[in-house]
Order: sequence, then C-alpha cells, then structure tokens
Amino acid sequence: MRLHNLNRGFFHWLAVIAITLACISIEGEWKWLSEYPNAFIAPFSDWLNVIMDWTVNNCGSFFMGISWLLEWPIWAVQKVLNWLPWSVSVFLFSAVAYAASGWRLAIFTLSATIYMVVIGYWEESMNSLSLVAISVPLAILIGFVIGVWGFYSDRAERVIMPSLDLFQTVPAFAYLLPILLLFGFGTVVGLIASVLYSFPPMVRNTIIGLRSVAPEVIESGLMSGATPSQLFWQVRVPSCRRQILLGVNQATMASLSMVIIASIIGGTSDIGWEVLTTIRKAQFGESLLVGMVIALMAMIIDRITFGLAQRSGIYDPNQQGLFERYRLLLIAALGGAVLFVLAQIFSVLVDWPREMVWSPGRAMNDGLAYLIINYHAQIDAVKTFAFFYVMLPIKIGLQGAVSPFTWGFALTPYHKAIYTLAMAGFSLWLGLRGKNMAGVLVMLFAVFIYFGLTNIPWPCVILIYGVIGWKVGGRNLGLGTMLGFGFMAVTGNWAEAMLSIYLCGIAAIISFIFGTSVGIWAAHNDRVSAFVRPINDTMQTMPLFVILIPFVMVFKIGEFTGLLAIIAYAFVPAIRYAEHGLRNLPETVIEAANMMGATKNQLLWRVKIPLALPVMMLGLNQTIMYAIAMLVIAALVGTNGLEQIVYIGLSDGNFGIGIIAGLGMAIIAIIADRTTQAWSRTRREQLGLDASL
Amino acid sequence: MFNLSRVARLVAVALLASGGAVTAGNVPETDQPIKVIMNDWTGQHVSTKIAGALLQKMGYNIEYVSAGALPQHPGLAQGNLHFQAEVWSNNVGDLFPKMVETGEIVVLGDLGLEPREGWIYPPYMEEKCPGLPNYKALYDCAQAFATAESFPNGRLITYPADWGTRSRDVVTGIDLPFNAVAGGSEGAMIAELTSAMATKSPIISMMWQPHWIFAAHDFNWVEWNPIDGECIEENQEKETACGFSQATVNKVVWSGFEETWPAAFKMLSMMTLTNADQNAGILEVDNKGRDIHDVADEWLANNEATWKPWVAAAMN
Repeated sequence: MRLHNLNRGFFHWLAVIAITLACISIEGEWKWLSEYPNAFIAPFSDWLNVIMDWTVNNCGSFFMGISWLLEWPIWAVQKVLNWLPWSVSVFLFSAVAYAASGWRLAIFTLSATIYMVVIGYWEESMNSLSLVAISVPLAILIGFVIGVWGFYSDRAERVIMPSLDLFQTVPAFAYLLPILLLFGFGTVVGLIASVLYSFPPMVRNTIIGLRSVAPEVIESGLMSGATPSQLFWQVRVPSCRRQILLGVNQATMASLSMVIIASIIGGTSDIGWEVLTTIRKAQFGESLLVGMVIALMAMIIDRITFGLAQRSGIYDPNQQGLFERYRLLLIAALGGAVLFVLAQIFSVLVDWPREMVWSPGRAMNDGLAYLIINYHAQIDAVKTFAFFYVMLPIKIGLQGAVSPFTWGFALTPYHKAIYTLAMAGFSLWLGLRGKNMAGVLVMLFAVFIYFGLTNIPWPCVILIYGVIGWKVGGRNLGLGTMLGFGFMAVTGNWAEAMLSIYLCGIAAIISFIFGTSVGIWAAHNDRVSAFVRPINDTMQTMPLFVILIPFVMVFKIGEFTGLLAIIAYAFVPAIRYAEHGLRNLPETVIEAANMMGATKNQLLWRVKIPLALPVMMLGLNQTIMYAIAMLVIAALVGTNGLEQIVYIGLSDGNFGIGIIAGLGMAIIAIIADRTTQAWSRTRREQLGLDASL
Repeated sequence: MFNLSRVARLVAVALLASGGAVTAGNVPETDQPIKVIMNDWTGQHVSTKIAGALLQKMGYNIEYVSAGALPQHPGLAQGNLHFQAEVWSNNVGDLFPKMVETGEIVVLGDLGLEPREGWIYPPYMEEKCPGLPNYKALYDCAQAFATAESFPNGRLITYPADWGTRSRDVVTGIDLPFNAVAGGSEGAMIAELTSAMATKSPIISMMWQPHWIFAAHDFNWVEWNPIDGECIEENQEKETACGFSQATVNKVVWSGFEETWPAAFKMLSMMTLTNADQNAGILEVDNKGRDIHDVADEWLANNEATWKPWVAAAMN
C-alpha cells in the first residue's frame, strides 16, 4: 500500500467509521444512544407559545391596525378588476405584453387569458391577481430598502443575509398561523405571507446589483460633483437597473406561488381556494385545469417583467421614443374603450355564461381511471420494486429490509459475512489503487446501507454530517452543521428529521440523476431542449398541490407517492443547470480537445462534464431546495417527517410546534445549501473557472 | 365600529319606516352584512346556503366568505366572520374549545345532522372476507386487505394525522392485525377510495357521513357491538368493542351576533337539517353538477312547512 498517499483526511474518516460502528455495537446497553432521551428535550415550543400569547394580548391592536390599513388597497384593486368586463382586461393585458416583448407574447397572453374566461374562472383569477398586484409592489419596496441598507452597512448585511435564508426556507405552513393570530382573519394573511416569502430575492438582487456598479462609473459621478443622493439615484441605481429588475421578476414569481399556499386560510374566493376545493374532492381533471391558470399567469408575468428588464437600459438612437410609446398607449386606451362600449351591448363580453363554460375535467378523470384500471399490475410492480429494493434499505437498512417476504430470503450470518468481506475488499482495492477517498466513501456507504438512516445512533449522525461539513467547507461549516443537527435532537424532533432527510435525500438524488441526464441530452440536441423548456416552466409554476392527486390515485397514500411528487417538482433545476453548464463552456477548451482527437464520448466524459460539474452542483443545490419546498406539501399524502408536524401545528393551532419543526426543515435546507455551494466553489477554483457565478 | 353599526341601524329603521320592506317589525336590525363561512366541502355548502337564503328572506344582507376549518375560529372570535353552520365536534383542534370557554365564540346548538363515523369498505370485499360487516371478521381476513408495505397485516386508511389518531388507538386497543396508515388529507383519502373502487382492489378506510362519496359509490360500514350510551374509544376490548363515539354538528356564531342581529340569532338557533336534506343536496351538486345556489332555493321551495315557523317565531 502506498502509505505516503494517505493524508490526514483519510484517517479522520476512518475514525468516524470506527466510532459509528462502536456506537452501534454498544447501543443495546446505552439506550440514550439510539433514542434521544426525553428528559433532555427543551420545551422550546411551549416557550414560543407563551411569547405568542403575550404578543397577541398586548400588541394585538397594533397589528390589527396594520391589517386594517392593508385591506383597503386589495379591496380597491379587486373591485376594479372585477368591474372591468373581461374583454377589456384581456385586451389590455395583451397590449402590455406586446409593449414588453412583442407579438408572440401578446398572442400567448391573449390565448391564456381567454382560457381563464372559457373554463369559467375569470373572477377567481382576478381575485388572485389583485392579491399579487398589492403584494409584489410591497415586497419590492421592502426588499429594495433592506437591500440598500445591507449595501451601505456591513453589520446590517451580516444580520440580513441569514434572515433571508430563513424566510425562504421555513415552510409557509409554519408561519401562516402566527400571521393569522396577529393580523386577524382575512386577505391580509395571504398578503403578508406572500410578502415575507417574496421580498428576499429583491434584497439579494439589490445588493448584488449595487455592488456590481463599476468604480469608474462612481468616480465619474463624483467628479461631476454629484451629491450623495444624486450619486445614489442617478448613478448607482440606473447602472444596476437590470439586476434590480431581475429581483422584481423573482419576487413576482415567489409571490404567485405563495398566493396559492396562503389560500388555505381562506378569505377570498381566489384560484388557490378553487384548487384546494377540487383537490379535497379528488377531482384530478378539474384541479389541473384550475391549477393551469396560476401557471399561465406566472408565465405571462414572468415574460413581461423579463421583457421589460431586457429592454431597459438599451440605448437605441433610432427609437422614436415618446411618439412610439404614446401611439401604443393611445391604441390600448382606444381599444379598451371600444370594447367597454361593446360590452355594454353584448353581455357575453362582461359575464361568460355558465352554459358556455368548457371543461374537459370529467374526461380527464375518466382517462386517469382508464390508466389505473388497465395498468394496475405494472404500477404495483414498479411500486413494490422501489419500495423493497431502494426505500426500505435506506430507511431501516439491509438488516431490516431483507426478509423472506421482501427479498425472498432471510439474512443469515453467511450473507452478512459475504457482505462485509465484499465491501471491505472493494474499499481496500480502491485504496490500493490510490483512491483513498473513494475507498472511505464505499466503507461509509456500506455501514450506512446496512444499518439504515433511522437506525444509526443520533450522535453518530451528527458526527458524520459535521465531518462532511468540515471537509467540504471548513471548520465553521462543520460546527454549524453539528449545531443545526443538535437543535433537532434538543427540540425532540430527531426521528421526524431523519424521516424528512431520508425522503428528501432519495428524491434529490433521483431527481438529480434523471434531471442531469435529460439536461445533457438537451444541451446536445436543440429539439429536445425546445421540447423540455415548456414542460419545465409548467412544472415549476403549477401549484404544487395539483401534482398530488393523480399520484395518489395511481400509487396510493404513503411515502412512495410523496417521493414521486417531490421528484416531479425537483428534477427541473437539475435539467436547467446541466444544460446551462454544458452550453456555456469556454469554446477554446472544446476546440483544443477536438484537435487532440478526442472522440465524442471522451469529449463528453473527460472534458465537458468535469468542466460543467460546478454548475451542475449548483443544480444539485437547487434540486435539494426544491425537494425540501415540496416536502411540506407531500405531508398531505401521508408522509411522517418534520413536514407532518408543521402541518399538525397549523391544524391544531399550536404555533410553537409548527414553527420549531419548520425551523428544523430550514436548517436541513441551509446545511445542504452551504455544503453544495462550498463544494462547487472549491471545484471552480481548482478548475480555474470564474468563481463568481 | 359600534357607532357605525348603530348609525347603520338607524338608517335601516328609517328605511323600513318609509315602507317597501317585505318583512315585519324592525328586521333587519342593520344593513351590516352577516359574513357567513363557506368551508371547502359540499355538505357544508348545502347547510350554509340554506341558512343564508333564509336570512336573505328575512331581509338580511349576506356575504359568503371562504375560510379554512382552523383559520375560521380566530376569524369568528375577532368578529371578522359571523356565522358557521357546521362545526364538527370531533375535528376542532385546540383553539375552538378555548375560544368557546372565553366566550369569544358562541355555540348555537345542534344542527340536527346525525353524523356517522367508522370504517367503510366496498361491497365486493364481502366476498373476500365473508364475515363482514361484523368487525370480528377482520381478525381472520386481515390478509385480504394487505399490501406490499403492510403484509402480513391488513392496511387501514385512517384520518390525516392532524385529525387525531383514533383509528390507530382502536386498532392497538383491540389487537387487530392491521397497520393504520394516516391519510394525509381528505383529497388523498378520496383519491385512494375512488381508485380502489375503479380497480376493485381491497380497501378499508375511516370515513364520515354525511359525505358526497356515499352519493357516488356504494360502501358498507363495519359493525360493532351495540352499546348503551356513548362508546368510550380509549378502553375497548376485543370481545366487547364498540368502535367510535359519534360526533355532533353545531351551529356557531360570533360573540356579538345576538346583539347585532337578534332576529337572525333566533332563527338560526331554531334551524335544523336532516341527513336526507344534506345528502340530496350533495348529490345534486357533486354528481349532477348543478349550482349550489339553485339547489338551496329548491330546498326552500319544497320545505316551506319546515322553515316558515322558524322565520315567523324569529320575527316576533
């Protein structure tokens, strides 16, 4: 064995594995190892409930006042949007789309809005839109102010950044209840929830934008004698307008997705409420049709704000400028007025009659039923296979999963010996070939898969993740990871946290492998790329609930259905990042590889993928984030992790329990985020690529 | 707030005095709209729309507001919502009892529905498990209800975890060889039931009535030992199991309701509905796709003998 190859890291890992095995072997005697002792659980949730009660009793009127103030603008916008005949609104929306991006978007907007009318959900769509119309400007204002503050004050930034992470990762279900208790029942709850979720991207983009302004620009501003306020409003802000508009775009998307989740409170008959009602009745077709409305709305608003962002800041000497703009405005106003007059004559242009509503919902339900009836056996086979050979081993380990009923045989000492020898041999062989780290990984994996995630003693799990964090991101990350996991043990959520990690982990890995493969294919084939893009858009903007019903009908209540629902949502970023990474490689490198006579396969595996790996890792990062976001929704099909506790907290009206479990999920998300980010950064530095992506 | 409503009341009285009102006396007392809660299931819509239509007949201004089953309680306590036709005593969480105790929410009494809760199965399961509907049959044919995850035990779908663990407690209490699987949400439970019916696969699930699913499909109920008085769910034994204690469905109002709309308060206190009323309404809406509004109006037209006395008594 080439001993000089063995670095310290290798021994650290060996120690970790040895400690884990030792813990498992004495687990039977020291009970506290296998189960975190109840006596040491700190009653955080009770304390939080006490604080909450006090706040409601003593500052209640203050929050109610805010709530009363916010209700008026929503009410006003809702009245206007519902008062305008649909024909006028449809025309005006299309005109805005044309102004922002051109004919294609105008036609898309026209057909999408007409779809909302024809399926009979115009009023609900406008109710949702009015909520978004108030929440987005509010989020942008708040986000911009905080962003500017963070830009000027380093101390503020140190507080702002971690709080943003929390706002984006604590599931909304966890903070809907406190908002409800403080601000009272009504539309305002949805408004505040969506502002809380959508202002962070605005803050981030404002800070990034203001930072990126070139010093030369500032200097020339100073030389022209700009006052501090002129320097800010006339030099800094215009120079980073694009980045800020990107923030506006992202805030809008976030707001739209939250509007659906917040509608679980009620108060407005909006699209989210309709989605929930159809889902309660398990009407797959109808829920999909209604859910489509939000997806379409999101796509339109996305393209419009994106179009505006693209157009801003481009100086075109040939632009007719004011005249052009006035002409468009004139046409829009005139067309709107004509339609308004027509609408007074033809009532169809105001209220779409019930008899003319077109809804293929029932036909879609029948289609799904046909699928279930005819492919019953195949569906069951897939499910059983995944359950026995993938999910069970990871959850309870081979020692629990292998039984005559599942694998067809029982685990004898003979089998165990073969398993141990094979795994030890494999890692030794890897070690001998100089791949020490790979050998260690195999050993770790072997221990893990044999005992299962939920059976490894909690101190060892904390240790393993801590060491991973330390190796990848340095001492601080390692310590942070251990503290984060410790929080879950101390608050008494350990078992549920492991179930969440188990489900999310499998989902993220499958999504990443599947998504990246599709992304690689799409990067090499424009037709595939064009085919995949609209699917991605729809999957990402469709309300998450909608995915659940068909999956339950096909695969029944339980973890497997939860898993599939998470995958369906989380594979999208993996596709996007893989394609983006491969399509944006430095051309010189590929040319060089070609000149050296690399085959297509070699080019892909030896050149392109290693170079694109850092970007793909960011895709993994996003996949994990999406998986955790979807996890909370998967609680609705009967999963048992932290997400279920969040949901129980909401339905029981127990604020403390819900928020503690929500924080647990946020911690998992943040640890995963930091670890993958750190890895991607180190890789990029090693490869000499641009480290700021 | 209260000054405003007093002004409104004066205005209303003035308007009434000028004539043109269908109703007698000083009803409605105020024009301030009564905010009536619409939850997200059809049975509740039927009760609510009937109550709403009756209040409108009395001259009240009604506003229907959608609200979730938990968020409605703070809404009622704060006076943002005013009337809820159906609060199920078995599914109220922790907030509701607290708020009733402090007097923020007032319980108006039983709506008259006779809900039934228990385990249901499709009729074709009786071929695979001949002893049904008696619960004792489940001991012998648990495997008829088994799936890959639960084998050799049977698989029992229960209420979502946030509705409590009653089925699970019964299963462990009487030692049934079944795994209790939490349903996650009503939608998921319904989806599973309809998909099982479509493929004629084995299923047994906790369920409640009145519910529209009974209008769409046939189900049988698992039968337990008859018992005098209420069934105590916690301590049952294999030989004498009584199943589940049955819920009541209550009408509930905001604490300021009686003061603001006394006549409406009286009428709602008297109003009752039967299972038959509600099931018929549910069938019309969910299976025939009719508008809930028309269905409620139809009930009013067909049941004048029932509701006229309530309104008459309230008006005096």
